[in-house]
Amino acid sequence: MPRRSFVCRCEDVTLSEVDHAIALGLHEVEELKRYTGLGTGPCQGKECISALVKLLIDKGLADPETVQPFTARPPTEPVTLGALAAGLAPDAGDGS
Amino acid sequence: MSDTDRALSRRGPARCATALRWDRDQLVTAREGDTVSLALLDAGILETSRSAKYRRPRGAYCLRGDCGTCLVRINGLPNRRACLTAVHEGIRIRPQNRLVAGADPSALVDTMLRGGMDHHHFMVRPRVVNQLMQGVARNLTGLGTLPDRMPDAPAQHRVLEPDVLIVGAGSAGRAAHAVLTDGGCDVVWVDRRDRDGIVAEANAAVSDALLDHTGVFGVYVAEGLWAAMRDTPGQPAVLYSIKPRHVVVATGARDPILAVPNNDRPGVVAARGLLQQLRRSDATLAVPAVVIGEGAYATALADALGVEALPPADVDRIEGNPVDAVSLRDGKGKRECQLVALAPLPAPAYELARQAGAAVRWHGGGFSVQRDQRGRCATTAFTVWAAGDVTGYMGPQSAADDGERVAAAVLHSLR
Repeated sequence: MPRRSFVCRCEDVTLSEVDHAIALGLHEVEELKRYTGLGTGPCQGKECISALVKLLIDKGLADPETVQPFTARPPTEPVTLGALAAGLAPDAGDGS
Repeated sequence: MSDTDRALSRRGPARCATALRWDRDQLVTAREGDTVSLALLDAGILETSRSAKYRRPRGAYCLRGDCGTCLVRINGLPNRRACLTAVHEGIRIRPQNRLVAGADPSALVDTMLRGGMDHHHFMVRPRVVNQLMQGVARNLTGLGTLPDRMPDAPAQHRVLEPDVLIVGAGSAGRAAHAVLTDGGCDVVWVDRRDRDGIVAEANAAVSDALLDHTGVFGVYVAEGLWAAMRDTPGQPAVLYSIKPRHVVVATGARDPILAVPNNDRPGVVAARGLLQQLRRSDATLAVPAVVIGEGAYATALADALGVEALPPADVDRIEGNPVDAVSLRDGKGKRECQLVALAPLPAPAYELARQAGAAVRWHGGGFSVQRDQRGRCATTAFTVWAAGDVTGYMGPQSAADDGERVAAAVLHSLR
C-alpha cells in the first residue's frame, strides 16, 4: 500500500491532495471542502476540520484570529429515514 | 481463540462470556458489556471496512462515536457504530464496503494512483469513460446496503417541552444535571452513548432520567427545536422534538486525526477513546502499543496506557496491515507494536452550539464555543449555555466544576 497521510479518512483526502488543491489557488476552508470532498463523509467533518485548519494556519493561509470552520448543518449525529418519517406522521401532535 | 492470542488482559471479576458472529461464519468469544469495537479489537479483528476512494482497509479509530469508520452491519442493520454498541448473546456483525476478505482486488486503485486522485479531472473525458467510472464508483463506495428487513415496529415521535435540555452526560453534563434537578427544574437529559459507557466513565451511578443512545442531530432555530433520535439496539427508534426554554450544551471534545503517514491503517486508534473502552471493560493491553502525540496531554495518556509516547515530528510512518510497527526518522529506529494510539489534543464538539447560533473561535487544537461570563453562548427562541470541554478542552475535573457553575447560572435565570 502506498504511503499516504490522511486528513479526512471518510472521503480519503490526503495531505498531498489538499496541497494539490491549495496549489490550484483554493485557500479557504469552504473551497477546500468543495473541491476535495473533505468533511462530507459519515462523520461530517468532526475528524478532519482541526487537521485542515492547523495545516492552513501553519502554511500562513488562515488567520487563527478569524478562521472559521465549515458550516455545521444537521444531521450532526446519524439519524434513520424511518425516524425522520415518524416526525411527519399526522398524529405526531405538533401539527408538522 | 486461546487467551494468549488476545489483545487484552482482563482484570476484576470475570463477566459473563458471550459470542459474536463476525462476517457470517467466524465465532468470536467476547464479554457481556464490551462494545463491539473492543470485542473485535481483543480478538485481533481490526479491519471492518474498505475506504471510499482508494479502497484501503479501515477500522475503528476514535472509539467514542465520532469518526465514522467503525460503521458495520449489526443484526441486519447497516451503518451501526461498533464503538457505541454493546455485545449481546447472538449478535451478528458484518463488515461493510468490501468485496472479499483479505486481498481485495479493488485495492488496485490505491496501488495505481500513487500520486493521488483529483476526481475533477480523473476519467472525466470522454463521456463514456466517465459514465463507466461513475457506475463502478457508485457500486464500490457508499455506505452499506439496505437493512435485511422492515423494522418490527415503526419509529415513534415524542414532543417534549422542558425548562432545560442538557446535551451530554460527560463530566460537565452530569454536574449540570445534578444542580438543575436539585433546584427542581424540569430537565430532559440526553447522551448518544449507552448507559454502561457513561457509568464506566463516571465511575458512579447515573440518574435513571438520562435518555441514553439519544443523539441530538440538529438544531432548528426558527422552529425553536432540538431534534434527537433515541436508537436503542433492538428497540423501535424514537424521534424526539425537544422545545426547551434553556439548553446546556455539554457535548465535550472530540479526538481529531493526526496527519502522520499511514494514519488510516487498521490498528490506529485514538488514545483517549481506547483508554475509556479499556476502563469500561476493566481491561489492559496485552499487546505492544505506542502513543503518538506531544505535550503533557499525550504523556498522561501514554502513562495511563503503560506505553511510550512518540512525538509526531519523529514519526516517519506507521507500518503494516494491520499495524505492526512505527518507524522513526533520523535513525531513531522502529517500535514494534500492534496498536498505535494517536493523542491529539481533543477538539471541542462545537457543531450543535454553532447551529444554535453560538460563535466559535480557533483555539489550539480546535474551535471552541464562545460564551459570556455566566456561560451563555446564544439567545434566540431558547437560551443556550455552554459548559465544559466544548468551550475549550479542560479535562474532566475542571469540566465538572464548570458544569456546576453554568447550571447554577441557568437556575438563577429561571427564577
